[in-house]
Formats: sequence, C-alpha cells, structure tokens
Amino acid sequence: MSALVGVLIFPGTNSEEETLRACRAAGLDAQLVHWNADLDEVRGYAAYVLPGGFAYEDRVRAGAIAAHDRLMTAVREGEAAGKPVLGICNGAQILLESGLAPGLDGAATTQAGFTRNAPLGKYRSTHVYVKLSVPPQRCTITASLPANAVLPAWASHGEGRLAARPDVLARLRSEGHVAFVYCDARGNVGPEAVPNGSALGAAALVNARGNVLAIMPHPERDAWTYMHHDEERERARGDAAAMLGASGGIALFRGLANALSATAAR
Amino acid sequence: MICCVEVRLTIPDNEARTALSTLRRLGVSVERLERADLYRFDVEKDAEKDLVATLRGFETVYNPNKHALRVREEERPGAGEVWVDEIDGAEVRSGGAVRIGGRALPGVRSMERFTAWKLMCATGAAVPERVVLEATETLLCNPAFQKATRK
Repeated sequence: MSALVGVLIFPGTNSEEETLRACRAAGLDAQLVHWNADLDEVRGYAAYVLPGGFAYEDRVRAGAIAAHDRLMTAVREGEAAGKPVLGICNGAQILLESGLAPGLDGAATTQAGFTRNAPLGKYRSTHVYVKLSVPPQRCTITASLPANAVLPAWASHGEGRLAARPDVLARLRSEGHVAFVYCDARGNVGPEAVPNGSALGAAALVNARGNVLAIMPHPERDAWTYMHHDEERERARGDAAAMLGASGGIALFRGLANALSATAAR
Repeated sequence: MICCVEVRLTIPDNEARTALSTLRRLGVSVERLERADLYRFDVEKDAEKDLVATLRGFETVYNPNKHALRVREEERPGAGEVWVDEIDGAEVRSGGAVRIGGRALPGVRSMERFTAWKLMCATGAAVPERVVLEATETLLCNPAFQKATRK
C-alpha cells in the first residue's frame, strides 16, 4: 500500500464505493472521508479523489454547493501544497466550480464549467474512450502513462459539456489544460467521438500546476474487464479470471499511485 | 407581446435553503432567499391567455399540489432579484414550434427560461444591489456558461 488517499463523500455522492475499489486495486491505501470529518484529519491525506454523483443534489448547479463545502478547504490547501487531486464526473464539476481547475493564472475563481449536454441537454450513459492530449508529464496523475494513451471509460452525465468564454477556451487549448479528449477505440478524435458537445472535445482538464485532474467520464466504471464494452469482454466470457482482470480505466488510478510513490521517493 | 410567467414552489424550497445557508457561510448578508422558475415568452397577440392555460396543463412545469403560477407584470428583475439563464439558451424548437418537455406552445414566437432568485433582509425588504451582485458572483451564476440579469 502507498500513501493515504481520501475519497471524499458529500451528501449525494454515489460513486464512492467503486472509486474506492479502483484506488485500492491500484495499490492505494484509500479511505472514504465524509463531509463532516475532522478537517485536520482530512488535511493529513496525501491525495484526494472526488467521486461522481450528485453532491448536494446538484442544487443551484452541478458541483456549485460542494465547491464551497468546508471539506474543500483541505483540498484547496492540499492543491496549493502540490498534492494530487482527481475529480471524476460530479467531482470534476466540483473542481471546475471551485476554480481548482483549470486555475488559469493561479486564480481560484470559476473560469469554466461542465454544463448541459448538447444538443438537447439530455442525460447520456455511454461507453467512451479518452485520449491523453498533453505530454504525460504535464499532469502528475498521467506522468506514468504512455504518450497519447487511450483509456476506456463510461460517460454518464447530463452536464458534461465543457463551456467557457472563447478567450478562456483558447487559453485552455494553447496552454495545455485539455488533458484528455474524447476519441474512438483507435484513438481517432473528432466530433463523432464526443458524446456531449464538449468544447474542444474535452473530456478532462488539468490545472496549471499539473496536480489537479478533472475528468468527466468514469474510468472506475471500466476498471475491470466485465465492465468493458467491446470484444475484450466477449473474449473473456466463460473465463472468470479474465473477466475479473484489470481493464484500461484502472490506469488512471495506477497513475495516481505512481505519482504518490514518486513523491514519497523524493 | 412579452408574457412573463413565474412558477414558484409553495412547499419548502430545499434548493433555496441550501443556497441561502451557503451564501451566509460565505459571508453574504442575506437573510431570506426565494427561487422561482421564470419563463419569458414572446407571444402572438391574444395568445397569452391560452398560453397560461396550456402551461397549467404541463405537469413538468406546474404541479398544482406544490406550485403557484402567476403572470408577472414586470418583464425585468425587480429590486433584490437576479435572473440567471444559460448563455447558449434553453429554447427547444421542433417543427417550427417552441416546446417545453416536448410539448408545443401555440402562439409562442420565442422563449427564455431563467432561475429567478430574490434576496431579502429579515424584514422581507430587498437587499442592496451590491449584495445581489456579491451573491451572483459568489454562487448563483457561473459566468462560463450562464448570464445574470439584475435590476
């Protein structure tokens, strides 16, 4: 087991168990942390993972209330200290609402958001692939992935479309904040691979410092072969060991584990 | 002509309560907060009455067990109010008709949809505009994809 990772739970979070399992399968010593936990204890974690769900029932906007939760005080301090922070789906929405991502100019103000899917604003649950679109070392969590890595995941959201002012979008692209873009199984990018109309085809943003990753689709829901959605799962049918083998989504959690190991070694 | 329809919960509004407690925790001087769904229609002449009757029949818009629906006289936010909507709009058209929940709205040329927040002091009086602005920038509007209209 590596360093202690806090998987944060707000009222309405619902993906904490599978996120915890993926963390542990990647070798992380992860624990669930409830919103009413002692803040000093929360400050003791080496990294934070914000899982998916509907924190505070998405009241006002998805992620808006949780972004101001007291638990986020520890996350902000941790981010400033260089700790890795991974937000998935609603966790990603919280990170954008809090300003922790993309964090242009180091400002902790809201600069972008994940809003209603285009074109009709409808919820979508669909298997997707995402491609690493920055150099791996640009982000602490992706540093051990190969360049242009393609990961499987499940998009499961009604509000996953990246939106920002045109000047902000231009900077997100030019300054390397779009960590992952949607792609097909072979890594080809294009509008047809984007399930929600997201600007820049973005599936994930990274902050300026490189230690915060906000990703909309769920890698933890494609962390084992039985969760996978193409011929790999079909080949595993009848073979329990293969079906329970790791799938591509686990790579992101291994990336977090590797990041923490590298930090510990320094 | 413009027709502005407000739909407000008559039962306790948990979303408004959560927003209020968050704003207060963030130091915004507001004691009461109300929220409503607001539809601003551009309707053909004489179509307003039918429009309101149609809306009263849409359960996704108005449930008489828990909502109050009224036509507002004001087409703009009043004192203490901020209306928030999405920059790229919420209007859905199909077959040339403006629709809500897939159902056509006869006589409607266009529609804007807002969340209307009203911020008040303990007495029920509107808070100063600087407080509305502070609440808007702190919590009620994400300028990346929303716009806020104040008095």
